[in-house]
Amino acid sequence: MPANKKKRKSPKDKDVELIRSINAGDLDLYYDLVKRYEQKLYNFGLRMCGDSQDAEDLVQDTFLNVFKYLQGFRYETKFKNWLYRVATSACIKKRRKSKFAPDRELSLEEFLPQNEAEIPKELPSWAMMPLDKLLNRELQEIIQQAILDLPEKYRLIMVLRDMEGFTTAETAEMLNITPANVKIRLHRGRLYLRDKLKDYFNND
Amino acid sequence: MTEKDHHHHDHACLEMFKMLSDYIDNDLDELTCKDIERHAAECVACKACLETLKQTINLCKGSTTRSVPDDVSRRLKATIQGLLENQPRL
Repeated sequence: MPANKKKRKSPKDKDVELIRSINAGDLDLYYDLVKRYEQKLYNFGLRMCGDSQDAEDLVQDTFLNVFKYLQGFRYETKFKNWLYRVATSACIKKRRKSKFAPDRELSLEEFLPQNEAEIPKELPSWAMMPLDKLLNRELQEIIQQAILDLPEKYRLIMVLRDMEGFTTAETAEMLNITPANVKIRLHRGRLYLRDKLKDYFNND
Repeated sequence: MTEKDHHHHDHACLEMFKMLSDYIDNDLDELTCKDIERHAAECVACKACLETLKQTINLCKGSTTRSVPDDVSRRLKATIQGLLENQPRL
């Protein structure tokens, strides 16, 4: 679609001006760029690693790498997407070094009701509650832990799509996989988390 | 419900189950959306599945973010300053 192509070629990226100045020699402005994304990346690190030291390492490694490659930044990509691509690579590298969270495939079948008793006969009350009544600290921790328990390839997609707010196309580009693959993993990741929430509310 | 009806019902449930995320993300054509809505209106199990999945996504999107602790921020600043000080200037 020509309209989309045009939009992609000239994204309204508030960072572009700053990056051009840094690349033109005003290096001290780099810290402004860091400040702009420090909190976002730190939270991304917490969601992906679950540990504040790992999150800090991720932020440091990412900003060091971004600086190293900033001269080669292609302005047709949104800086934020490129930054997360660098952060994601740092994250995957870090996870490979640890034996935490073993990788496994999630199949659609494992989320289907296994017997008659598991088939809901009515709408569960938690599904209809307003978010501000539902989302307390305890539930935040349940969600965070369930995300951490997800195998990495599903966790990455869940975090990027449903927590960081990237689109399917952006996520696919960042991870170098097809949009169809993003959708498959996202659906299974969501079903996994939904099962954990169901268990939590059933035992509440 | 006849045996045939029941089989058909299960098939429709399974098809809907596979497409729930695409439906929620607005990634389906209008006709398929209408099929899903019609099915959800008459099948409580699928309606429950759809609504709990929607709420799961809402909870993810609504999860709060933490501020960066001051010491983490200070160390990052020091790292970046160290990096910049070691760069050749134009």
